[in-house]
Formats: sequence, structure tokens, C-alpha cells
Amino acid sequence: MARRTIGQAERRFAALVLLPAALLLLVFRIVPLLWGFALSFTNANGLGSADWVGLANYQAVVADEAFQDALVNTVLVLSTLPVWIMLPMLLALLIHQGVPGGRIFRAVYFLPAVLSSVIVGSIFNVVLRFDGSLNAALKAVGLHPVDWLGNGWTALLSLVTVYLWSTFGMSVLIFMAGLSTINQEMLEAAKLDGARFWARLRFIVIPTLRPIIEFVAVVTTIGLLTGMFGLIYVLTAGGPGTATTLPEFLIWLEQGKLNRPGYAAAISAVLFVLMAGVAWAQVRIMSRNADL
Amino acid sequence: MGRIAGWLIGTALAAAPTLSMAQELTVWDWKSGDPAAANYFAAVKTAFEAAHPGVTVNFVMQPHDQYYTLLGTALGSSSGPDVMLLHGGSQATSRAEALRPLNDMAEGFAGVADFTAGDKTIALPLTIQGFVVYYNKALYEAAGLDPSKPPQTWDELKAVCDAFKAQGTVPCFAMGNKEGFGGDFFLSSLAADLFTPEEQAQMATGDLPWTSPHMRTIAETWVQTSQDGWYPEGANATAKFMDEYEMFMRGEAANTIGLLSDVAHWKQFEEFLGPENVGVYVHPAPGTSDLRLPVSGGIGYAVNASSANADLAADLVKTLSAPEQAAIFAVDTGALPASTAVDTSALSSPTLGTILGLMNGPTSPLAHAVMAPTVMEEWHRQSQLLVSGETTVDDALARMEEIRLQAKSN
Amino acid sequence: MAAAGKRERRSLWIAAIPMALLALSCVYPIYFAVNNALKTSKGYILDRFGLVTDPTVQNFADAWGRARFSEYFVNSVLVTAGAVGLLLLLSSLVGFALAMLRFPGRRFVFVAILAALMIPIQVVLVPFYRTVEGLGLLNTRVGLVLAYTAFFLPFSIYLMTAFYRGLPRELLEAARMDGARFLEVWWHVMLPLGRPALLTLGILNTLYCWNDVLISLLVLQDRRTLMVGIAALRGSTRPTCRSSPPGSCWRRRPSSSSTSSSRGASSAASPWAP
Repeated sequence: MARRTIGQAERRFAALVLLPAALLLLVFRIVPLLWGFALSFTNANGLGSADWVGLANYQAVVADEAFQDALVNTVLVLSTLPVWIMLPMLLALLIHQGVPGGRIFRAVYFLPAVLSSVIVGSIFNVVLRFDGSLNAALKAVGLHPVDWLGNGWTALLSLVTVYLWSTFGMSVLIFMAGLSTINQEMLEAAKLDGARFWARLRFIVIPTLRPIIEFVAVVTTIGLLTGMFGLIYVLTAGGPGTATTLPEFLIWLEQGKLNRPGYAAAISAVLFVLMAGVAWAQVRIMSRNADL
Repeated sequence: MGRIAGWLIGTALAAAPTLSMAQELTVWDWKSGDPAAANYFAAVKTAFEAAHPGVTVNFVMQPHDQYYTLLGTALGSSSGPDVMLLHGGSQATSRAEALRPLNDMAEGFAGVADFTAGDKTIALPLTIQGFVVYYNKALYEAAGLDPSKPPQTWDELKAVCDAFKAQGTVPCFAMGNKEGFGGDFFLSSLAADLFTPEEQAQMATGDLPWTSPHMRTIAETWVQTSQDGWYPEGANATAKFMDEYEMFMRGEAANTIGLLSDVAHWKQFEEFLGPENVGVYVHPAPGTSDLRLPVSGGIGYAVNASSANADLAADLVKTLSAPEQAAIFAVDTGALPASTAVDTSALSSPTLGTILGLMNGPTSPLAHAVMAPTVMEEWHRQSQLLVSGETTVDDALARMEEIRLQAKSN
Repeated sequence: MAAAGKRERRSLWIAAIPMALLALSCVYPIYFAVNNALKTSKGYILDRFGLVTDPTVQNFADAWGRARFSEYFVNSVLVTAGAVGLLLLLSSLVGFALAMLRFPGRRFVFVAILAALMIPIQVVLVPFYRTVEGLGLLNTRVGLVLAYTAFFLPFSIYLMTAFYRGLPRELLEAARMDGARFLEVWWHVMLPLGRPALLTLGILNTLYCWNDVLISLLVLQDRRTLMVGIAALRGSTRPTCRSSPPGSCWRRRPSSSSTSSSRGASSAASPWAP
């Protein structure tokens, strides 16, 4: 078989496969996205009329103290990223290594992920409020109660922890799927050669899992930046002050409550650029490691 | 996979849209699935469809938290609803340009001012909304207070809260400020007594400076009451709806600033505490002996200006807010009707009697409801920071004034 | 060697203790939800934590009987099944192409899909709505199936690509040597090998589609999916059971419409797929 024809067939097949997906994405995602970007240069008020205002919205976003606070919160939230990757990976590895009860754990860990964020929020609202069950437990052992959701620092920390609790099961599931591609014979051979758990992890497991790790890192980042609305809404409503206001919550506020879709679009554009930057860095770091 | 594709095409064909032949009016709200309001919606549908043969009324209930997002998405396009339910105040007036004027139908309603932009009436109110303080008579008695004599002045209210503090079993007021609503309700309650008519007018147009003496009194009192221990700990982490009110209903707080319609009102409280244990009074304010009930239009129906059947839709709004129909809504849900022609004799409770008496006395508009949305949002934040001590009255008022001027210039 | 194995076994047993505690925390909400779903509205408000004393299934009966829930349920099942099927088919094909095949513009396609993953949903609401309307897909189940597919496709493709990248390319080459066409390689090699990932993806996408409120609200305005029906009830009324799994929490009685502020809650799409 000539190399040329292989290449041609390969290209033809790829094009054929990509076409329907590309079409769907173009119509339902890319076109609305560009349209949305265009909105950010107008003073649209959600009633149909809109005038071109140039970069005014972006200037206002940069000067907006609430947005600045939201950016700081975003950085704080993103700094917890390593936990989001390592914890589920460790759990998946332990299950894969045959921890007693592993099958049950895998199923049970996924339970919180099945619940919608509103329900998770309502549950933790009861647990974390000042007269909630967590403080009742603290008082029972003689500790001081903490206003978990009413204090700037603890509110953001609580929010992130609850979100981690409600999604780590998905990452475990994805890591489990990735672990299934590992060559079992190689792993057994290493075991017979006396390679310890950490050595096997470093030389066999991690290299195979690299694309999955990258995937979880990128998707988690995006989830942290665009998936916490439901929890914020129920648990803290962005407060106290702006302590738990993330850009995504601000977008909802501007669009739904303050009726300024143009301004909301400008925040979205900034958020998009921010996410793209972080994701690009992650992909770069992972692929550089691959070359090592 | 091939089977799935075939099945998909099958459903695609089955799901092709069916075009209705008869005329149809679509109404958006966040109420029509509510069993308590079911009789009202059924009555409206029956009455209107009988008077207009061939017309179908279709009520579509939307989730409340996405309601204005959806409305904003649909209003500009031809597929928006013909009629929509709106809250009084800025949520209604900021959409004025997309709504049909209803000036010729506004006779005989209270609270129309909150649905008026300029001189254009944009919706007919269904209910009246406002704030009163509800109190738990049994807890007053336990604290050595006379439950038949609720506080009428600021000093009397202070004495009441001092008594509860001295007793130390329950806080004086239940307080939920997670969304900043606690701050809203407090501001409107005090402003009703404090503001002069000129200040009220300035407030409505966004011209009242936050640095003015009465605004300062409100902010300082908000901080002072919280430092004096009027509220339970964790107010910033407590949702007003319904965590705060559930606390009151469990008898874990002596007073709460509640509503006149919908929820957190006399009917709901009486159900939990017993009619004999619920009392009501107008919130006093420091530095004045005036007591004015803060009230405004609650919710009301508006017509989409771009509706193909705008006149028919306006007729529907007439039916939706007509005395016979509004009476059903009032009796079933305990809401106070906006139509002055509604017979409220079917509503009987001692607390309601007091409220209806208060409504015939001096009243005042809801100060927070006329704030520009961005100003209100900032007050939500600042009211939280004031409670937690993360900001001072001076800084908070300066910030509020900055936001007010920004909103004014836009 | 045996000693090492023994030690590892012991470590695993020790690791099982914190893992079991974590598992316990994941079960608690289910207990909380079921316990409270069996309480009356009044019973819940008066005692949120206690064990139910007078269980009632009235909440469930009320909810099912009201507001055409059985019809909503059928809509949810049809739409979810359609979208998940389409998503699995497309993502396994595209993932295979992106991970294994060599063609010009591969990098660009990959980056474009990553970018599509990051679009915050709030900003595209208005344009998305107009697009659906313009295509005549408003109020059709097909419209919703296509919308879900488009919304969750970047995530699905990315996952399948990451998964297939963990497999050696020799698999493809060996099969091609045997004279198999690409479609056959996909069907006989990639699909079976991709089963763990496809299973995961199937579960996740089912959850996303089933739990979605926002997209469904926009596309199906006069027919409803189950979660929208529930969200609408929740938005307008006071909770009876408050916190329970999707599909079993119902709220009664009027609430809201208090001030010019909104309350109640619903999640935009899903926790992960933006």
C-alpha cells in the first residue's frame, strides 16, 4: 500500500468525521459566542435596542471594584487546583490497587455528583449555617462555633470544599477509566521485579495517565470558573460583601438582575480570555513534561 | 449506533412543531403551578375564554431565579409572551419601553405608582406589598412584656429588645441578610418614618444623597442595633427566605420584619404560632414619633408591546386583575389585593384586621424598591460588611454615594 | 518480595479507613433527603434534623399528580437518550480522529474544541435563543437534543481524545496492515477499547442532560422537561422536603414575589460541562 493513499484516506475519513461535529459546534456555540462578543461593545438593555459604545463596557469592567474582587477570589480558588487533581487520582489509584471495599467506594463517591448543585447547596446550607449541624458538633466537643458562611475567608473556603466534595467522584471515575488503559502485564511484571508502589506509579502509571491528568486539570479549571453558580447562589449569594463573588456570579447578576447584558458580555469575554490562558498554560506544561 | 441514529430521525419527525389554528395568548409568571393559586388561574382562564370564543390562554410558569434572564432573552424577539407578571419597582419600570401602556385601565388600583414609568402605566397591580413587624406574643409574655402593647416609639422598641437581651433566651429580631435583603427591609422600614415627602421624591428619582442626615441615621442604626445584640449571630449566613422566617415560626425569635403578601405574612405565621400568638406593629425609627406603613404595588401584569395580539392581551390583563378574580387570589393566598373593589370580608383574622387598619393610616413608599438596581446591589454588600464590622458607616455611605452618582450618570 | 506485597496489603487496609469515612459522608445526603422528603412541610420547618416520626408519601403523590409531571418525564427520557446517544457516537469518532489520525489542521481543531469548552453559558443565552428560533427549532425536542449535543460535545470529545491518546498508535497501524478501513478500525478496535471511557461519558452526559434547567427552559418553552418542572415549582413555592435527590423534592405553598429580587435557585447546566 502506498503511503500517499494511506494519508489521503486518513484525511478523508478525518474530514468526514469532523464535519457533523464542527457544524453543530459552529451553529450552536461559535456563532452565538461571536454574537455575544459583539454585544459587549453595545449598551444592550435586553429589550431589543442597542447602541455601539466601543470599549466603554470594558473600561467599566476594569474599573469595577466588584469585578476586581471577583478576580482576586478567582485566583484564590484556582490555587486549590492541585488538590482537585491529586486527591481523586490517589483515590482512583487505591481503588485500582484493590483497596478493600474499592468497588463500593467507587460507586458511593459518585453519589454527590448525581445531586444537582441546588440540592447540594441546600444540604450544606443546613450543615454550615451558624445554628447548623457542624457548629452543633463543634460545641459538643467544647470548641467555639464558626460563622462558616458569614466570614469572608471561611465562606470562600467552605464553598470550594463543598464543590470539591460534590465533584471529586467524577474525577475518580475518569481516572479509573484512564487506569484501565494501563498495560496490566507490564504492571504485574514490575510488581514481580519488586518495584514498589511509588516506583510503579512514577514509571508506568503517571506516563500513561498524562493525557487524562491534563484533561482533569483543564476541565476542573473550567468547572471552577463556570460551574459554581448554583452553589454560590444557594450558599452565600456572593457575600458577605464580595467575598464569594466569582466572575460567573457577577455575569448572572448583571444579566438577570441588573439588566445589563452588554456589560455582562464584556465580563464574559474577560473570563473567557482568562480561562483560555490558564488552560493553554496547563496544556503546555503537560506536553513539555511529556518530552522529558 | 445505527439503530440510535434511526431512532433519532424517528423522534425528529414525531416532534415536528404543531401549529395551532386558534388564537393563543401566552402568559409568563412564577405562580401558576402553585396549588394555592390554582383556583385563581382556573377562574381567569374560564372567564376570559368564555368572553372571547376561539382564544386559548396558556399560562407558562418559569423558575423565579431565571425569570428576568429569560424575559430579557425573549422580550426583544417575536416569541416573547403576550402577558407577563412583574414585580413592582425597578424590575417593571426598567422594562417600560418594551411594554404596552395601560393608562386607560389603571383606575381603581392601589400601588399603580410602582408600575409607572414617567407618565406611562405599564402594568396593573394584583397585590399590595409592604413591611410590618410581626411579634410573638407568647415570647413577649415570657420576657415580662405586655403582649397587648407592642412598641409604638423607638425608645419603646429599644426597651423591648433590652428586655429580650436581659432574658437571654431568644434574640429580639430574627435576621437573615445572606442576600442583603435584611438590609433592604430595615432601610425601607426606617425610611418610611424618617423621610420627608421631598426626600421620598428625591429617592424615587435617585437624587437623594447617601450622605444626607436621614440616610446616615439609617446606616448608623443598622450598625448600632447589630452591636447591641438585637439579632442572632450568623445573620450574614442566614437566608431571609425562609431561614429567617422559619426561625420566627419555630418561636426562636421575638420579632421579625415580615411582608403583607405572598409569604412571611400573617397567614403563614398564624398557621405556625396560632392566631392568638401573632401580633403586628409598624416599625418605629429613632428621632421621630411618626409611624408610617411602608407599602407599594406588589406584583402586576404587563403586556408585551410587540405582541401580535396586544389589545387582546390588554383585555386579558383586565380579567387577571378584575375584582372577582383578584378576590380569589387574595382569599386563597392571603395576599392583600391591589384592586380597591375587592371584598376582603372573607379574610378574617385579628392580625389582618390590625393590618387593614394600618393601611388606612399614614403610608409611605418602599424606599429600597425604587433604588437603581446597581445601587440596591451595592447596599446588599455594604449592609453585610456593616454587620460584620468590615467597614465603617462613613466608608459605606461614601461608597453608596459613589455608586448612586454612577447610576445617575448612566 | 512477598514481604513487600504483604506490606502493601496492610497499607491498603489502612487507606481503606479514611476512604470509608469519605464514603460515609457521600451517603449522608441521601439519608437526609429521604428522611425529609417523608416529612410534612410543617414537620420539616419545626425539626430539620430529627428522624421522621410520622412519615408521609403525600409529597410524592402531590407532585406527580400536579402539573403534568408524567409528560415532563417522557420528554426528559426522550431528550436525554437522544442527546447521549448522539454524543457518544460523535465523540468517539472525533476523539479517535484527533488522537490517532494525522491530518492537517489537527492542532487547530483541538484548540477550537478546547475554546468551545470555555464559553460561559450566560453570555450566549440571547444569541443562542435567537439561533434556535431562527432555525425553527424552538419548542421541539429535536432542537433540545441538538442543543444538548452541541453544549456537551466539546467536553465529550476532549475526554475521548485524552483517553485514546493513552493507547498506542500501533493498534491502528496493525489493524490497517490487516487491510481494515478506518470505519472498521473504529468499530472493531476503538469502540471496544473505548468502553471504559464511553461508559463514564455516558453516565456524565446523562446527568448533565437530565439535570439541566437553563438550556431546556430556553428551547422547550411550552413543553417541559422534568427538572424544569421541578425548578419552576421550587421557584414559586416553599419547600416541603427541601433537600433531596433530583426528582423527589417538591415544594408547596406560595412564596417569593416579595421584593424586586429573585430567589429560589436552579443550576445552570451542570457542575462540569460548561
